[in-house]
Amino acid sequence: MKAAIEIESLSKIFRSRGGDDIEAVSRLDLTVEPGQVFGFLGSNGAGKTTTIKMACGLVQPTTGTVRLNGFDIRRQRGQAMQQIGSVLEGTRNVYWRMNAWQNLLYFGRIKGVTSGKELKARAEQLLRELDLWERRKDPVGEYSRGMQQKVAIAAALIADPPIVLLDEPTLGLDVQASRTVRDWITQLSAERGKTVVLTTHQLDMAESLCDRVAIMSRGQLLAHRPTSELLDLFRREFYKIRVRGGIRPGELKMIPGFTASRENGHTVLSGEVSADVTVFDLVEQVQGAGMDLIGISPAEPNLEEIFIELVERAELGPAQDSAMELDASHSRNISETGG
Amino acid sequence: MTMTRSVLMTRTVLMPGTVLLNECYKRIILLWSYRFNFLTETLMIGFLFVGISFFVSGGSPAPEQMAPALLGYLTWFFAAFAIGDMSQGIREETQTGTLEQMYMSPLPSGLLLAGRSVASLLVSSAMVILVGGILMLLLGIRIPVRLEGAPIFILTITGLYGFAFLLGGATLVFKQVNALSNLMTNMLLFLNGSFLTVERMPVWLETFARSLPTTQGIDVLRRVVLDDLSLTSVWQDGSLVWLVAHSAIFLIVGWGVFLWGERVARRRGLLGQY
Repeated sequence: MKAAIEIESLSKIFRSRGGDDIEAVSRLDLTVEPGQVFGFLGSNGAGKTTTIKMACGLVQPTTGTVRLNGFDIRRQRGQAMQQIGSVLEGTRNVYWRMNAWQNLLYFGRIKGVTSGKELKARAEQLLRELDLWERRKDPVGEYSRGMQQKVAIAAALIADPPIVLLDEPTLGLDVQASRTVRDWITQLSAERGKTVVLTTHQLDMAESLCDRVAIMSRGQLLAHRPTSELLDLFRREFYKIRVRGGIRPGELKMIPGFTASRENGHTVLSGEVSADVTVFDLVEQVQGAGMDLIGISPAEPNLEEIFIELVERAELGPAQDSAMELDASHSRNISETGG
Repeated sequence: MTMTRSVLMTRTVLMPGTVLLNECYKRIILLWSYRFNFLTETLMIGFLFVGISFFVSGGSPAPEQMAPALLGYLTWFFAAFAIGDMSQGIREETQTGTLEQMYMSPLPSGLLLAGRSVASLLVSSAMVILVGGILMLLLGIRIPVRLEGAPIFILTITGLYGFAFLLGGATLVFKQVNALSNLMTNMLLFLNGSFLTVERMPVWLETFARSLPTTQGIDVLRRVVLDDLSLTSVWQDGSLVWLVAHSAIFLIVGWGVFLWGERVARRRGLLGQY
């Protein structure tokens, strides 16, 4: 089966007015399989949006190729464009002076849907699914931010493209609207088999939605793996020990590698232990130090911690490709980054 | 297979029509949403003509003298509309992100742009008929309908849209061409021969005025529509030949500049930035 998105040696160099070159994306290689929810993560200026725009044909790459379902974005532009719908960050994407219905019909025709019957049926289906049907005749400018974003998403999907690119789709949305968009992304992939590429700063959302994530920093790819694999790679023997009341500095020294913090009148000791230490050994150490143990629980790393660690590491030295670098770092203590 | 091919052929034939209707649909909706502004502007355009006519004629304009002025003025209105559409319109769409959505269409951007231009022309024609009709009724001006004027009008508008494409291309790259658009719109109003025929200008100014879009078109249009000259006679005296060359140059150069603007905007990532 063809990859939904194939990116090969993709680079983008912007020339600034002073004559300096800014390498926004550097030799990026990436594959997104059909039906996946793919998360594109990175700090501001990491190169995510530039990559997305190159995939949409809006920014011309300096080098490299992008293929959408096998169609080269430069050589087979028309066919490639039929493969995608997108909602780009920071813009309206639709006409706020027009109502939702008018926008969907307009963008449907622009995206090559010639059958009026098919277009109207699709617009109705999308508006009903997104709870916009009742207000379809109101100008989009009068909607709430969440509803406006829903219209933008519906416009991206009006021609039923197999690939959907969503650049910060929940930016500026309240909790409820954000939840609707998240549910919809899941539905798009799980029930309709769409490939969804998502850029977001909300790492909890990426963790819960994405089958695979790519982490970028300064235009370079730091990691590109299935989300579960990335989490496994960072999963260590990391524990949280909750003890009653406060503890003395001398007591903490008896449990090496742990740091203490206060939480609801109790003390929480967090730290990593070596592979040969069991939970029972930890219980003995805590009790031996004279502490009043409440409980011990393993702490799972989350995508946010992994993201911070990778980005911080990339800022310290040259970015490396994911697999070997991540495996080699396995033993590193992530408690320093807030685990 | 035959079925698929025929469906594809039908779609190819229907597509330009769909694009054109789609753009007209959008233009009319957007115009209606700004109907108060639209009505005010229409009134202002009417008053502006009356005011300038009074000023130019020393306070006593005669209807027969106002016909050439009105013909030129209405042609200028097309120019103002096309220039606004291509520069201000593109700038606004860059800001709202709808231009990027247009460029993500599987249809060629040239086809979409042509659809937009024709839609803009149809809407401005409706406005011209409205404003022109009211002015003719109120001021007793008569402009005869002569079919021979149609090719002259089409040539004039072709050159005009070429010039608008040029500004559109510049807008894609430089964004802030507002002042230039305004300058050009005003320059066209006073130098296209609407109120002061180019023959009465100093030679250097006449040469410059004749190089502008619409000036030559208005001159030939007047002679054909108002002075009743045939197309053969304006061809033989060279004025129609010059109009054809003038419009072709504007269209080719304008389209070239627009394509250049698109390329630069894609290279620099400017389609969605302001």
